[in-house]
Formats: sequence, structure tokens, C-alpha cells
Amino acid sequence: MESNVEHGEEGEESVIELFRDRFRLCTISIAEAEAKQNGMEISPLIVACVSDLAFKYARQMAKDVELFARHAGRKSVNMEDVILCAHRNDNLTAMLRSFSNDVKAKEPLSDKQKKRKKIPQSDDKAAADLIHS
Amino acid sequence: MEANSFDPELIRAVFRLVWRKQATGREKSQLPDNEPEAGASTSKKSRLTFANANALKLSCELLRLFVTEGIQRAGTIAEAEGSSKIEATHLERVLPQLLLDF
Repeated sequence: MESNVEHGEEGEESVIELFRDRFRLCTISIAEAEAKQNGMEISPLIVACVSDLAFKYARQMAKDVELFARHAGRKSVNMEDVILCAHRNDNLTAMLRSFSNDVKAKEPLSDKQKKRKKIPQSDDKAAADLIHS
Repeated sequence: MEANSFDPELIRAVFRLVWRKQATGREKSQLPDNEPEAGASTSKKSRLTFANANALKLSCELLRLFVTEGIQRAGTIAEAEGSSKIEATHLERVLPQLLLDF
């Protein structure tokens, strides 16, 4: 049993390192774009620092959103849980909330909306039947 | 064109890694020692948290804001000092407030 746990931990460590590297790749493109926008250069050390910080933050976020979802009696994390993570800063909360509204607006038609669209059609059909009969 | 952001699948994978670890920790503290492994793994699966697609998109946005805010604030300090390159000393100065805000 113990050796399995050790192997598991070693495996986890290497997976964490892989994720950390992939995080760095994402961060590099975001950071360089941001620095370019402001007309500044950025040292690679800063990018690595910010990336590792963001990685730690992501792992903390995972714990936080899980706690929020469970606190609400849910097993799945939704947008409200993520917005709660930003509660320390009102501007940040507002930015996230408006982003979440955009995401909701861009969603493909839900079943409810499809049903709403169908009802006028059946009304038209009923009206047409009345006229024909 | 929107700026680059994090990959939602990467974020999902990181979240799942953390949640799996949390679930294991809960299992260890709750279950008695003689619980069979098969039982433990099935209960882990049934208790494991998952995130919907929109929550992942929002998490990517939050992380992108974190990176952007950090770079921007450090850049402001660098600019104020008349430097055109953002260095570690600039990041150091903005870090406490950044961590308090996020």
C-alpha cells in the first residue's frame, strides 16, 4: 500500500510540473501581448514568476470554488462560484460578472427559448386553420 | 481580436487534480482503515466535484486578469521610474496589493 502511495505522489509531482510548464506557455503569450500594448519590454524572469503565481492561484481557486459549490449543496461548480472568488475586489467582481453575462448571451438557444419560438408558429397555424375552415 | 487567454482544458485538468487530492484527503480522514479499495474508489467518483463549461471560461478569464493586472501594475512602476523594461523589482513592489486584491 505504501509503495503505491509513493508512486502516486511521484506521478502527481510530474503531472504538476507538466501543468506548470503549460501554464508558463499560456502566460508568456498573455504577458508579452500586455507589455507590447503598453510599449514595454518584459524580462523572462517576471513571466516565470507571474506564471507560477497564477498556477498557485489556480490551485487555490480550485479549492475555493469546490467549497462554495458544496456550501450551496451542489457537486458542480457554476459561474456564481467563480465570481465569488473575486469578492475581495469590487472592480474585479464587476468585470467578471459582465464577462459572465456576455458568455450567457453568446450561448446557443436553450430548450426554453426554442419552445418560446415554437408557440407563435402553432398560434399562426391555429389562426390559418380558422381562416381556412 | 481578443487577447490570448488560458486554455480551458488546462484549467479543467488542474482543477480536477486538486479536487481528486481533496477527495482523497477527505476519504482518509472519514473512512475506517479496513474499507476495501474498490469501495473507496467508487465513493470517490460519486463525490468528485466537476465544473461546467461556463465556469471554466470564467476561471480562464479570472486567471488572465490576474496575469494582465500583475504585468500592468508592474509596468506602471517601471514607467514611473523611466525604465522601458519590466523587472523583478517592479513586480516586487506591486505584489502585496495584487495578492490582496485577488
